[in-house]
Amino acid sequence: MSSKKILQFIARFAIPIIIILFIYNIYSHGTIIHPGKALFKAQCSQCHGEDGEGIKALVPPLQNSDYALRNLDSIPCWLKFGINHPVIVHDTVYDQPMYPSEIDEVQTANVINFMNREFFKYDREVNPEWVKEKWKNCK
Amino acid sequence: MRKTVLITVLFCIALQACNWQSNLPVYGPKTAVTKTENGKQVIDSLDYVLPPFQFVDQDSNVVNTSTVKGKIYVADFFFTSCPSICPKMMKEMLLVRDKYKDNKDVVILSYSIDPVRDSVARLKIYETKLGITSAQWHFLTGNKDSIYYLANKYLVSASEDPSAPGGHIHDGNFILVDRKGRLRGYYDGTNEQSVQKLLSEMDILLKEKNNE
Repeated sequence: MSSKKILQFIARFAIPIIIILFIYNIYSHGTIIHPGKALFKAQCSQCHGEDGEGIKALVPPLQNSDYALRNLDSIPCWLKFGINHPVIVHDTVYDQPMYPSEIDEVQTANVINFMNREFFKYDREVNPEWVKEKWKNCK
Repeated sequence: MRKTVLITVLFCIALQACNWQSNLPVYGPKTAVTKTENGKQVIDSLDYVLPPFQFVDQDSNVVNTSTVKGKIYVADFFFTSCPSICPKMMKEMLLVRDKYKDNKDVVILSYSIDPVRDSVARLKIYETKLGITSAQWHFLTGNKDSIYYLANKYLVSASEDPSAPGGHIHDGNFILVDRKGRLRGYYDGTNEQSVQKLLSEMDILLKEKNNE
């Protein structure tokens, strides 16, 4: 095979295959960047870490958090009003307060959907109406 | 021939760059003093130096100016119930601690700006939460006015503010201080790149001689 023929082969077959794989990759992940991911990175990752790993015994990890899974309905309250009581995650007590934030129902739903998928491995999509409903019962 | 010239020029530029890097700035206002040298009156300027201080750390040890004498140190201001930037600052300070763990020439001072609540016992618990026991990293408490006075002398801001999260405001600065108590660098303790810069500038500062 001459070098010209190899180049022709690449142009005809390899390049289209690469393009198809690229497009498939974007579609298989739903969207290019999840809107909740951007907000998480800006607002939450400072303390909880970009991979939800937390900081030592100061900030609890989010990865597979048993506490979060047991209190899924409280997460909208935590995001908006903060937490002012100790929490136990993976048998470790965390008593640093979490501060409240000015977050709206759409942003809250986005962040929760991102965390559900990324950290809690919990297959549920929530919407802004659900968030507003939960906010009514915050303690 | 031309190549040789070019290489020489590049080498000189590179050398200059190294020279620039090895001179960290000295922050703070200088004081003018008049002294007599060889029978003549000359005006000299003195570098800004931090005033003496004395506080107590998480192990009830007294930490004062002589603790850090002849050593370089990194200082920051925090409080244990701080919900906002402090955990992130601690995470970054752990990098400093890990890098210079066995270096007796390096000290870390974390001043509590909430010393009334942050007792020695509470600071000890905080240290335990960070997963360390360190004779090198002192978490300090003491007279509140003295700590706020000192923060002012470090040229950073710290104050009480009931409307802020946790009731206190402070910036997240890490301050680098040399062997003579002079301010040599400011870094954002919540920013990874800035802390990397601190780590490399600490290496530069460690090479500076004590009597320089």
